[in-house]
Amino acid sequence: MSAPTLAAVIAGLTLVTLATRSLFLLLGDRVSLPARIRHGLRYAPMCALAALIVPQLVLAERGLAITPFNARLDAGLIAMAVMLFSRSMLGAMSAGMVAFLLLRALL
Amino acid sequence: MFESDRLTALFGRAPALARLRRAAFAHGMRAFGPAVIATGAWAMVTAVATVHAGLSPGQALAMSGLVYAGSAQLASLPLITAGAPTWLILMTATIVNLRFVIFSAGLQPWFRHLGLAQRLLLGYLTGDVGYLLFIRRLGGAQPAAANTERIWFFAGLSIANWFTWQALSVVGVLLANRIPTAWGMEFVGVLALITLVMPSLTDAPAIVGVLTASVVAVWGNGLPLKLSVLAAVVAGVAAAVATEMARERRGAAT
Repeated sequence: MSAPTLAAVIAGLTLVTLATRSLFLLLGDRVSLPARIRHGLRYAPMCALAALIVPQLVLAERGLAITPFNARLDAGLIAMAVMLFSRSMLGAMSAGMVAFLLLRALL
Repeated sequence: MFESDRLTALFGRAPALARLRRAAFAHGMRAFGPAVIATGAWAMVTAVATVHAGLSPGQALAMSGLVYAGSAQLASLPLITAGAPTWLILMTATIVNLRFVIFSAGLQPWFRHLGLAQRLLLGYLTGDVGYLLFIRRLGGAQPAAANTERIWFFAGLSIANWFTWQALSVVGVLLANRIPTAWGMEFVGVLALITLVMPSLTDAPAIVGVLTASVVAVWGNGLPLKLSVLAAVVAGVAAAVATEMARERRGAAT
């Protein structure tokens, strides 16, 4: 891709970020959502992050890999368990990473 | 007293109000603490992937610095490498970013009274993690007239988010040619996000919503133009709201 084209792509992507993130902030009070939906939007970011995380755990190159031989899934579940019982973010991350490196070497 | 004229310009002249704003801003910056590893890891992963996709260090810095949206950047890199037409790259990024339109609807009641430039800036700075932490700070609060504290908290959170992203983007660009792609950094980012999301799963609607979003994201992984993330958010929110309503009906029946 030529430098001018890439510059245009980067400028365009910047505008995409700006437009999508501020759309309703710009429309202001012209659009009013039902209270039920507006309240429900508090669940949106956790759903978005789950949508970014979970495919990384359960999808392998050849599709769905919900097996004990999937090091990413095992390590993710271990991190979740440690987080659930210890409430320690660093502990959960360390446990998950050690498990991932060990299992990837073994499996 | 104010430390400098610059702080006066930022937080205003009225001493009591300036104190409130400054305290809320600092509180917001500290609240970003738990997200530093996740944001930093993804900034590095994105920066390294950008250089590996064939962009020069300067181009990669411009991209991470300006676009400021990791998932959209990662989605557009293979298209850039393949020399896809500009409109296709922008359309793909727009679809990946459509979840932010949903977030902006949630933020609107809190920012409605701000000026245009402030709304644009706060919107531009709102990623997934920033909005997640803002909602956690709000608890169940409804948008109220006295929300100066909330806005300055949000500003502090967003600035901390921005600095973390930019700093680790620079590190990623500088290290890109010394570290291979499969360096485990991406998985550090995944684990960090897991630990960041879990404290939000405090009730049945949240858990049902996140499980639904996860299933839809995996099922929709093959969808064109990365539509799966948007589908997952819509389905997850709908499932969470439906769970809330079912719980209320049960509560009313007993």
